[in-house]
Amino acid sequence: MIRYLAGVFFSLCYFSATAQRISGSVNEQDATSKTLKPITGANVYWAGTAQSASTDTSGRFSIPRVRQTNLLVVSFVGFTNDTIKIAQESELEIVLRNDQTLKEVVVRGNANAIDRLSPHQTEIITTRALAKAACCNLSESFETNASVSVSYSDAVTGSKQIQMLGLSGTYIQTNVENIPAIRGLASTFGLNFIPGTWIQSIDIGKGAGSVVNGYESMTGQINVELQKPDTHDKLYLNTYVNSFGRGELNLNLAHQINEKWSTGLLTHGSTLQNRIDRNKDGFLDLPLYSQVNVINRWKYQSDKVMAQFGVKALYEDRLGGQQNFQREMKGTTQAYGFGATVNRYEVFSKIARLFPDKPYKGLGLVLNASLYDSKSYFGLNKYNGKQEMLYGNLIYQSIIGSTNHSYKTGLSYMYDNYNERYQTLPLLRKESVPGAFFEYTFNHLDKFVAVAGGRVDFHNLYGTQWTPRLHLKYSLTDQTTLRASAGKGFRVSNPLAEYYGNLVSSRAVVLKESIRPEVSWNYGASLTQEYKLGEMTGSVIVDYYRTDFQNQLVADMEDPRYLSFYNLNGRAFANSFQAEVNLVPAKRFDLKLAYRLFDVKQTMDGIDGQTLLPRMMVSRDRVLFNAGYALPYDKWKFDATVQWNGKKRIPFMGDMGEHSEHGILPEMTSTMAPSFYNLNAQITRTFVKWDIYVGGENLGDFRQKNPIMHADQPFHQAFDAGMAWGPVTGRMIYAGFRYKITR
Amino acid sequence: MKKTIALFATAILMVFQVAMADGDKVVKIKTTAVCEMCKARIERTLGLSKGVKESNLDLKDKTVTVKYNPNKTSPEAIRETIINTGYDADDQTANMKAHDKLPSCCRKTAAPH
Repeated sequence: MIRYLAGVFFSLCYFSATAQRISGSVNEQDATSKTLKPITGANVYWAGTAQSASTDTSGRFSIPRVRQTNLLVVSFVGFTNDTIKIAQESELEIVLRNDQTLKEVVVRGNANAIDRLSPHQTEIITTRALAKAACCNLSESFETNASVSVSYSDAVTGSKQIQMLGLSGTYIQTNVENIPAIRGLASTFGLNFIPGTWIQSIDIGKGAGSVVNGYESMTGQINVELQKPDTHDKLYLNTYVNSFGRGELNLNLAHQINEKWSTGLLTHGSTLQNRIDRNKDGFLDLPLYSQVNVINRWKYQSDKVMAQFGVKALYEDRLGGQQNFQREMKGTTQAYGFGATVNRYEVFSKIARLFPDKPYKGLGLVLNASLYDSKSYFGLNKYNGKQEMLYGNLIYQSIIGSTNHSYKTGLSYMYDNYNERYQTLPLLRKESVPGAFFEYTFNHLDKFVAVAGGRVDFHNLYGTQWTPRLHLKYSLTDQTTLRASAGKGFRVSNPLAEYYGNLVSSRAVVLKESIRPEVSWNYGASLTQEYKLGEMTGSVIVDYYRTDFQNQLVADMEDPRYLSFYNLNGRAFANSFQAEVNLVPAKRFDLKLAYRLFDVKQTMDGIDGQTLLPRMMVSRDRVLFNAGYALPYDKWKFDATVQWNGKKRIPFMGDMGEHSEHGILPEMTSTMAPSFYNLNAQITRTFVKWDIYVGGENLGDFRQKNPIMHADQPFHQAFDAGMAWGPVTGRMIYAGFRYKITR
Repeated sequence: MKKTIALFATAILMVFQVAMADGDKVVKIKTTAVCEMCKARIERTLGLSKGVKESNLDLKDKTVTVKYNPNKTSPEAIRETIINTGYDADDQTANMKAHDKLPSCCRKTAAPH
């Protein structure tokens, strides 16, 4: 990153060899006149100590000598940091070099940022944007983002799924601090397991991802950075209540133990114990639930080593189904019930060897072990799943000759032990995958960047996998950037965990054949244009992506009696086109308008051969509009988002109970779910140490009328709660406060 | 739905109006701010306090220029806020308790400059 060596010219004037203080001036050189200009407010400190000073308006500083070190660091924003070895001199004249390579083009203070330098098309959701939507966890963090949308899966379990490029969130590789996190069985509720207040930022990469983190990214990758022990507030408390009766408490603590060690604790507890049935179908609109979620981590940072160790623990309990269902009625037909208990434990470590004099070089090791254990029931059906996971990734990065050519290479190992049982059907799978990767980056003045990567993995069950990926970025001007990417993705699906919501039905689960891994190719291109309209600034982003499946898991629900899983027999693809306009008409005022078009099709095995059908539950069109306005210092903040979701295909949901009793096969006709609007808004008032916020979701109070088929006869064979295409709950109002003690 | 949008728009407009009300007064107060961190801290704390529209600290002469609504606050109250943040305000000295909570680089005892 720091490409040019820091240039420092300092002339020494010897005054007194015994001086106890060091004084001097910090200057910058004017580019044209070559004269020295003083820098006001530059930081001057002894390396590794708290002893510091800053320069006054004439660029002067004075700092007492310390015994621990003779390295004096001089820093100022926009200039290259410099470290000077001090001997006997007591008067310095320091000239800081203007930092031509300042990489902080991404201003994290803005609500929505586009990473201009990354060769991958990346959007960043910052803490500020996250605060726009107070609620609650990762699944709800994408509300103001046009690329990722939340999809509704069923009307009972309360699990939320996301979609990107027209495909389900399981095709996105979701990492937490670059460790694969939401995968395998955790894909059911995983997004609900990362509380919003823990999140520092979210990077959303569209299209094929980097090979460094594995082969599983098919439509994109999401990386979540959590609050760091050495940077986040000493104490952060957030409470939240909503009109459904959900309560939430988050407490984050950070403590700097000494110069090198720091520790952080992130905690979350939330619960809903209020039975609500607003649509009067006899079923709870939301399951009752409680969640306790904790992370404790330790960080060690020195000049040469950065290390982190941590533990995570999670417990969640859900109970849903019919209004009058009680836990004791489990396994009976007295009332239909749904229950799920999840325990998740994880230990992780990250160790990096740094080379302070060679900032381009680094060696990192990530080690991670986790256990996911879930026990669920849907009426009379039981489903238990357990996953043990081990993950290790060793990464070495360096350059070839100059920083124009850099590379990352390394070895990885992934072990998964799945043990699932649905009713009497056992699903056992042990995966052991050692792999190696190499990624080469060519960078020409940040104008043209090419990243070519490949990895080879030796899968114990599915053989050797070769995963190539390519990313190109070309900046035509400072305002115009073109990007293109192509790459292969590979993943092993877990049908029951991924279609969990559809298990809340009388559909019989049929695994027609042994399911092969999913393999896809993703191609895409994007154009980012920044513009100025008088005083107003803004950007336009247009992108197109296509995902082509060589094999895909098909979950066939065309026949209301079955949920059949089989391998793709024919074509399956997803085309995604998106256009987004951002405008900043005035200071602290943002507008965003986005339109998205999806064309997602999948070949289904029908009675009379294969047919290519539009994928269910995917709207062809979607429009998003977001407006945000803040007063200086965010004293008041206003934010509103309107989304319009177009029509989508849903399976045949007609009343076929009678027909089937007469033994007549229903026609496989699908129906279309209507389009609908969704409006969310929030107001925040900031005080010096705390904020209060009030907001609402689904303010238009749109509800799907009958989200559950045959809700009155849950043990009848036509019962199906897995066909929710829209909001099940109506308008929701929430309020909360945040309290902070900054360090 | 439309109603809600309209309501929201009115709310935003009202805030605009409030922000643009005239009759605002300006006061200049000399502080003991040392660095950029002090500047940010004082400006934010003042900016978030009642009746203050704008606050701008010039590190050269350590003077903060505050634009305020005289119906809601007074120069005395503004000085009080500065003192409670840990800095001197004109001839009034800082609240020591608040001052001692400041990071070492922002304290008056930080190396003279």
